[in-house]
Amino acid sequence: MTVPFAFWRTTKNPNVLVPHRSNLNEKPVEPRQGFAVTRPLRSIVMIFSLCLASCLLAKVLLAESAPTNAVAVWPFTSLADIKPPVVRHADRVTNGIDNFILAALEEKSLTLAPAASARTLVRRLYFDLIGLPPSPGEVDAFVNDPDPKAYEKLVDKLLDDSRYGERWARFWLDLARYADTAGYEGDPDFPNAWRYRDYVIDAFNQDKPYDKFVIEQIAGDETEEIMGAGELSDLKPEPTVALTFLRLAPFTEPRGDASRHEMLSEMTATVSSVFLGLTVGCAQCHNHKYDRIPTKDFYRMKAFFSTVQLQRPLPGDIFQIGGPLPAEFYRKGEKEWATKLTEQRNAELGEARTLLAAFDKIEDLGKKSVPKISLTPEQREQRSKAKARVRLLEQDLKRLQPVAMSLRHSYGPPFEPGVPETRILNRGEWDKPGEVVEPGFPSVITGHQNPAPIRLDPFKRWPTRSRRLALAQWIVSPDNPMTARVMINRLWDWHFGRGLVATPSDFGKLSGGSSHPELIDWMARRFIDSKWSLKAMHRLILNSATYRQSSRHHDSKAETADLENTLLWHFRTRRLEAEAVRDAVLAVSGRLNPEQFGLPIFPPLPEGLAEEVKYDNSKWATQEGPEGRKRSIYIYQQRSMTMPFLQTFDSVVCDATRDRRQASVTPLQALAMYNGRFANEEATHLAARIRKEAGESPATQIQLAFKTALGREPTPDESERMQALMATSTGSSDALAPVCRVLLNANEFVYVE
Amino acid sequence: MSNDPFPGALWSQGYNSSRRDFLGRMFHGFGGLALTGLLAREARAASVIIDPLAGKAPSFPRKAKNCIMLFMCGGVSQVDSFEYKPKLNEFHGKRIPHIPKIASGELQGRLTFDHQCVGSPFKFQQHGQSRRYISELFPNLARHVDDLAFIHGIQVDNQNHGPATLHVATGSQFPGSPSVGSWVQYGLGSTNQNLPGYVVIQDPRGAPTNGAAVWSNGYLPATYQGTFLRPTGTPIVDLARPQGVSAAQQRQEFDALAWLNRRHLGDGGKDSELEARIRAYELAFRMQAAAPELVDLSGETEETKALYGLDNSKTAGFGRQCLLARRLVERGVRHTLLLHGVQIGKDSWDDHGNVKDGMIKHSREVDLPVAGLLTDLKRRGLLDETLVVWASEMGRTSFVNGAVGDNVGRDHNGHALCMWMAGGDVKGGATVGATDDYSLCAADEPIPIRDVHATLLNLLGLDDENLTYHYAGRIRRLTDIRANVLKQMIA
Repeated sequence: MTVPFAFWRTTKNPNVLVPHRSNLNEKPVEPRQGFAVTRPLRSIVMIFSLCLASCLLAKVLLAESAPTNAVAVWPFTSLADIKPPVVRHADRVTNGIDNFILAALEEKSLTLAPAASARTLVRRLYFDLIGLPPSPGEVDAFVNDPDPKAYEKLVDKLLDDSRYGERWARFWLDLARYADTAGYEGDPDFPNAWRYRDYVIDAFNQDKPYDKFVIEQIAGDETEEIMGAGELSDLKPEPTVALTFLRLAPFTEPRGDASRHEMLSEMTATVSSVFLGLTVGCAQCHNHKYDRIPTKDFYRMKAFFSTVQLQRPLPGDIFQIGGPLPAEFYRKGEKEWATKLTEQRNAELGEARTLLAAFDKIEDLGKKSVPKISLTPEQREQRSKAKARVRLLEQDLKRLQPVAMSLRHSYGPPFEPGVPETRILNRGEWDKPGEVVEPGFPSVITGHQNPAPIRLDPFKRWPTRSRRLALAQWIVSPDNPMTARVMINRLWDWHFGRGLVATPSDFGKLSGGSSHPELIDWMARRFIDSKWSLKAMHRLILNSATYRQSSRHHDSKAETADLENTLLWHFRTRRLEAEAVRDAVLAVSGRLNPEQFGLPIFPPLPEGLAEEVKYDNSKWATQEGPEGRKRSIYIYQQRSMTMPFLQTFDSVVCDATRDRRQASVTPLQALAMYNGRFANEEATHLAARIRKEAGESPATQIQLAFKTALGREPTPDESERMQALMATSTGSSDALAPVCRVLLNANEFVYVE
Repeated sequence: MSNDPFPGALWSQGYNSSRRDFLGRMFHGFGGLALTGLLAREARAASVIIDPLAGKAPSFPRKAKNCIMLFMCGGVSQVDSFEYKPKLNEFHGKRIPHIPKIASGELQGRLTFDHQCVGSPFKFQQHGQSRRYISELFPNLARHVDDLAFIHGIQVDNQNHGPATLHVATGSQFPGSPSVGSWVQYGLGSTNQNLPGYVVIQDPRGAPTNGAAVWSNGYLPATYQGTFLRPTGTPIVDLARPQGVSAAQQRQEFDALAWLNRRHLGDGGKDSELEARIRAYELAFRMQAAAPELVDLSGETEETKALYGLDNSKTAGFGRQCLLARRLVERGVRHTLLLHGVQIGKDSWDDHGNVKDGMIKHSREVDLPVAGLLTDLKRRGLLDETLVVWASEMGRTSFVNGAVGDNVGRDHNGHALCMWMAGGDVKGGATVGATDDYSLCAADEPIPIRDVHATLLNLLGLDDENLTYHYAGRIRRLTDIRANVLKQMIA
């Protein structure tokens, strides 16, 4: 299909097509013609007629959805072997990335900003790689390291730090719409979802090759080869847990075919935007308005999921859409941990039940005695507490079962249903079936709508198997250039605060194209050549001069030429994400519980809130102790309530895949960070810690407080100003606490340069 | 990037940006940037600072500047409140003689099973000049009938509480979309800089279905989230100063903080996101005074309190919510969402069991307060500039499967939701849409909920088609696809 060219106009880069502005505010109904009113009349007439013509053409072509003669445009072109361009400021080049960035800058007579100071870089790297601030000792060690390779050494050290996974898994969990509850009515618990969270953390830490990571999450149950007429092997625990990815969407009570259609459609749309950067979701109801994704392609892709089989829900779980599958604990030491915790919980449960039984007995006896004796108010309260405790312990024991919220392929006839027909559903409605389709890859990438080859076992005993595997293997195959491009751009976005394509889950026309398509392609190649190693890509990016630039750079010429810093003539100052803010506060107060992995945690909520938003008592089991002070990635993700502290910093429990966070500024943030119990308690602990380590002198205390919270010494006037604050804070029992509050609220604390 | 082909779409994504290109963050949205893409581009070029919460001009003039949404959780029975269906009583205990074709899905399925009509146990009478029938359960509201415009036969796409509530509250039955109030605030900003622009007051007895998803900002920036206001105690989460910190102490800490932040801003001094954060602390400081004053009802006369039913334990709960809504409107808060009822149990409008006693209980809790709110707004001249919307997630069935027994209830019906609006440019006494004689579904064309949303936005001066936000590969709207404004109810 030729691209109806009046709909798209080229940017300077002939490979990048962007939609005509006039199409953007239209509603996603059938394509209509649009034209630019500001152009001279002559152009208008011409454009109008072209629009009309191409519109008619488009309508015919899209309706028949037969993409022939497609001229591939970036990002759908195959990955070319690109050499980094030659640049004038070759002295600024550390690796190939800089060639591409500099070339684009030099075209506008710009160049990179000077390198940031060591003090800035160490803070930038720590937050970026492990999501925590460096301690004063770690700052000093780096700043005073005479080794010319000190920076590279630090990058390696932090990539090997197991806290790296705890930071970077959070980005992936956003993409995977991870949550611990289903949402909707009753917001039922997903007792085993947390195992997927741990799988992702572990995968990042192990540097699991990205292709393997993709395959496990889409088709982890189908990868084992079956030899000859052999039987199906048992599911392996790790890929079984990985498949939780497909099941994390919110759901409400099952309603037969409608629910299955919604579930499979959601899987299709999520897989597509997460791995391919294609938003096929809208093609469920109509041909994609901006990209060449016909409705038929949506259902061709959905057909890969047609043999998905869920276990029936466990008895009593009427609100669950499916049951768990066995998945032993597989990480080193995990089984021992689970066994120990299970024993502990069982013992506690026994105690709570004994207590409950005792109250029941007292009540029974009281009823029989003359005159009747009822429980005292205290006894009644104790009893209801014991009841709640029993529920919570039972819930924990459920979480500790060696199972995963997973799925598998249907076993097919004669055991289970065979491969069902997949039909286009008109307007996306499950009860309006249309044409039958075969599974196939998106034609916008392949250029055709032929059925995908599905490789069954040698004796074809399992005709329902291998469909998702075919999709997953194509996703990571050399035939598909999107996967590497999309992931490279995500990494770039997470490191720089903005992708080379600004919308990481949408490489389509609405993305506005890429500022540096050749750089993406060059890196995508290296990514594949490195055997899909994410850590290799981190190294490449972090070691570039582009990444090491200063964020405090004034260049009026650059500001005029590129106000938005698309060309990266300086590093962007970025606000920490919600989780990193909370973790940083705990890190500087010295109260962060470093324990990794495990059950969801329940930090205290603002007063009364748990009561007000609860659905039942087994939900938010507030943990006042250290277990509630683990890193934020472990916080229970309850869809009916995001912790207000995190929400004010733009974190919302995911309902759908999310590729980026906002960074908004609201007064509620100030209230949470200044008045809130969490920030205040930690400020007090920070003060106590400083006093203990720095002694009695206010000047020394302030010096250490700055170094701890901001990673630098205070200037003399800053020290003076803070001492003045201490001196006038006479009403306060702890004069250092006000200083600590101020530091935790400082812009410098939550923004990384 | 002067050749940015569509700045609105990109900017509204709110990606992180550099020191100077602050507009993408604190200032993303730009007052519906996509709505005025070109203007915004010029504004950006001129480095004009646009505060996302500053008041914004509507797209076209409308009287209403604020909106109060009254959400009845559980699904209000339309045939026991605002829809008079005498045939139901005539056929009480019998099969429904005529089933319209457009009753689809679950409703159609259930009607093929044995069923019996359930007549309303309540008397209906005509009221006002519009001679509209209102059930005896709403004697106080009935006095305002000529100010109300009713919509019948509204359809939601799923008739379970969770999705249906989200559909009415956010325009999508799937979680993750911004609520109506977030869109209103995104479109109109706020005129009160000491209070949040979008306030939610929940039933004191508990949370609605879906919890906070009902007032979520979804994919819009956190600036547009609904702020949870508690009628008693500390009105806003984290509003109270830390223990042992006096106002004077806090003032000097804030001064020190501002001093430190200004130094950090440095010589460039132009990073408006960092500046915005400095201002946010000042706003928070003022909010600490404004919010307690807001919830302090001691200045209200006894007559006013009685008007809202604060003197009666049955009506005091929702009465307090309604009175607070008036006080919020007076202070220029754009959108107030009042929730009545909780998600499950006797305090929900979800009367599967005993619809008679249930409706008596629920209507008694809200009738007087809502009427009081309308009276009070009107006499203060505020009804003209306030749009009041009565909503619920769905209607209820006019039949039961099996036989009508004692304590008969009603089940869910997503085809027959009834809502009303009042105030602003609403044409009082108007009726839009109608259900068939048995209130199963729309008699003619069903009214999708997006049409109601488009009308609501229109009455606030916003064009649903142009109130857009680019997210996840699509141009998003409250109404998603083409919606029709219900012009018959606009004066």
